[in-house]
Amino acid sequence: MAFDAKLAMTDSIAKITLTGSLDASSAPRFKEVIEQAAVQSPTRLVLLMKDLEFLASAGLRVLIFAKQKMGAKVDIYVVGSQGPVLGTLEMSGFHHSVYIQDTYADA
Amino acid sequence: MKPICLPATLDSLDEIGKYVVAATTEAGLDTKAAYGMRLAVDEIATNIITHGYEEAGRSGEINLSGVLSDSSLTMVLEDTGIPFDPRSQAAPDEDDLCLPLEERSIGGLGIFLVLKGVDDFSYEYAEGRNRNILVAKRPLVVNG
Repeated sequence: MAFDAKLAMTDSIAKITLTGSLDASSAPRFKEVIEQAAVQSPTRLVLLMKDLEFLASAGLRVLIFAKQKMGAKVDIYVVGSQGPVLGTLEMSGFHHSVYIQDTYADA
Repeated sequence: MKPICLPATLDSLDEIGKYVVAATTEAGLDTKAAYGMRLAVDEIATNIITHGYEEAGRSGEINLSGVLSDSSLTMVLEDTGIPFDPRSQAAPDEDDLCLPLEERSIGGLGIFLVLKGVDDFSYEYAEGRNRNILVAKRPLVVNG
């Protein structure tokens, strides 16, 4: 499935819905959306990943970029990730730095 | 499986992924092993395209083949980019993996996922060609 990343800003929370396959060919698009979010100085980044079916290291590097670009105080939430994609996040140690949740309810 | 030959560009990653999915399905790998192989091949192909060709100012092709035996699926990537052994990149260690993201280095994650994704990985360079060889064990079939 082709990759897509859609950004929605609500009350300084940046929500990005990721679908399809995120690897080196699609990571530049994800990075572009992260940059669009970063200029709006969000207080939180929520990544809706239920329909992200493939995640390679290029996508992980964009997550590192997001944290470094937005600052350590901006918490990152990974929502709905499952199966091998979730396995990749955990294997790579990202679960130490992001909040992994099944669902996300607006606070 | 019939080998494929694709331009060494990132646009080829999609086709490469489809080929690997077909091979892992034919091999009867479970979901985790099939995904691990797809991820490992994607990472190696990305390395070849970016380090072996693009950064070196070269263009060329990647050959990909899948060979099934009773006990394993072997995927082989061959290219004529500059000699590049993916194992020369330092994979993150346990301490690195526990670092907060803002302190993480972006290097080495690809080879880390390759080594985690398959049962065996090897690299050789001969006669002007890089060969990356990835092996996944097939599930045992009990006859009778």
